[in-house]
Amino acid sequence: MRDTAIVAFAETKIVEKGDLDVWELGAEVMETLLLRTGIEKSEIDGLILSSSMTGAGNAFWSQATAEFLGLELNFCQTVDIGGSSPNGALARGVAAIEAGLCETVFLLYADTQSSERNNQRPHSFNLEFVAPQGLMGPPGAFGFISRRYEHEFGLDFKSLAKLAVTQRDHAVLNDNACEKLRVPISIDDYMNSRMISDPIRLLDCVMVCDGASGLLLMSKKRAKEKGLSKIVTLAGYGERTNYMATELLFDPTKSGHAVAAERAFKQSGLTPKDIHSFQPYDDFIIANMLQMEAIGFCKRGQGCGYINETNFHFDGDLPFQTGGGQISAGQTGLAGGGVNLVEAVRQLFGEGGKRQVKKSETALVTGIGGIGYGRNWTTSTVVILEREG
Amino acid sequence: MSEEMKPQGKAQGKELNNTFDVERFPVTPMSFTKPYWDGTREKKLVIQYCPGAKKYQFYPRPTSIYTGKRNLEWREVAGNGQIYSYTITRRTRPPFRGHEPFAIAMVELDEGVRIMADLVNVTEDQLKIGLRVKPYWHPLPDGQHVLMYTPA
Repeated sequence: MRDTAIVAFAETKIVEKGDLDVWELGAEVMETLLLRTGIEKSEIDGLILSSSMTGAGNAFWSQATAEFLGLELNFCQTVDIGGSSPNGALARGVAAIEAGLCETVFLLYADTQSSERNNQRPHSFNLEFVAPQGLMGPPGAFGFISRRYEHEFGLDFKSLAKLAVTQRDHAVLNDNACEKLRVPISIDDYMNSRMISDPIRLLDCVMVCDGASGLLLMSKKRAKEKGLSKIVTLAGYGERTNYMATELLFDPTKSGHAVAAERAFKQSGLTPKDIHSFQPYDDFIIANMLQMEAIGFCKRGQGCGYINETNFHFDGDLPFQTGGGQISAGQTGLAGGGVNLVEAVRQLFGEGGKRQVKKSETALVTGIGGIGYGRNWTTSTVVILEREG
Repeated sequence: MSEEMKPQGKAQGKELNNTFDVERFPVTPMSFTKPYWDGTREKKLVIQYCPGAKKYQFYPRPTSIYTGKRNLEWREVAGNGQIYSYTITRRTRPPFRGHEPFAIAMVELDEGVRIMADLVNVTEDQLKIGLRVKPYWHPLPDGQHVLMYTPA
């Protein structure tokens, strides 16, 4: 994996109910990547998309995108592991280049879930065994997880509030964040926000938006030939789908991030102490804490104590969700993982602006994808990135 | 939960609604879920049993999740159990909107599987993890039933 370079990142403004179609957002991302690198469009010969609630409702999402953007490709696919797709696309892009299937890969994460009709049909088991119960999808699932965590370990909601406040502070510093969310909040605002799926509150939840982001990949050798000296590499990657698949009495406070992180740390030779910024997939505030535990920033069941004693601001002990994360920058539909991933790359490129992490040579990004039956999430991914040059 | 964390407004009370009046539609089963839905017509809980693993599984699958073999048996079970976790829905979408607050639980059956179900005839004060519950069948328009749970 170390022979491949991320040579550029791009991101659109995140908006609620925007007026641009998903492919126009894709065009903006591609144009930015070309301008930033000086690469010609004709050099792109690989396209990998994340799932999309809108464009991907069409069974020909990746091909239609190639068509709209005028790309002639040796490798073209959609990665459909839910919110883990942006990370999955990165790993598959690296693999495709290193397998010699293509040379220059455009990773595009675009969705317009807030402005277009969601054209995904409900998942089959949901139709028969979840819909008749009235579970409101992810907030309901995270209600179960939170209640169980509270039962097992105790849950100090003020610790979760601290994460929410920190993320919001960072979104205020992020010009790409959804404007509606760029307003500071307090611990009390979080505590008093109305219950949705008790104990999940409104300020635990992401807001669905429109937006897109992307990365450009090529071999390190090619990047050097092109004079692209500032690069980021995928130092470690772990992915686990359907963790504990055959264990029906599983513990939903545990996730596949534990095994994904173990693999990623082993590949990279790094440990949690070596991570300079942490950008976990955040559909709900508590997901951040569960991942801190699974990845090993703290011990299982001790997340609240760890949060209470750690400064997560961009200039703190463990810079966390430095762009606001999805909860405070906005969830760009199923492309939302790109919000976390691209912020990590931005920090490694030293382009964090007012929120730049001072020492920024490594970053850890995660993905969460899908919700199982009464479980937590279906796919867990862990990406460890390192800056080179 | 401390007093300051109690939700505001209508949901403040301890009464929880039953979801009997929600408009639900008959379920069109998949090829491998039909025996379950047929069982509900007689208010029987019929679930899959894998003879290889000697374990039950729920919801119905096209194969044993344990062995990958399709020699599954359908067995009627009592379906009694306890609450493994629960959430109180205080704000949701149609057709459940307006029926809040209501409770949904993951019920852990004595047979070793978990089932997601609405809890009925229960108050918020009664609700706790570990509460023993028993099946409650709520009719759908075409003779099928939805499995709910109520305190035992």
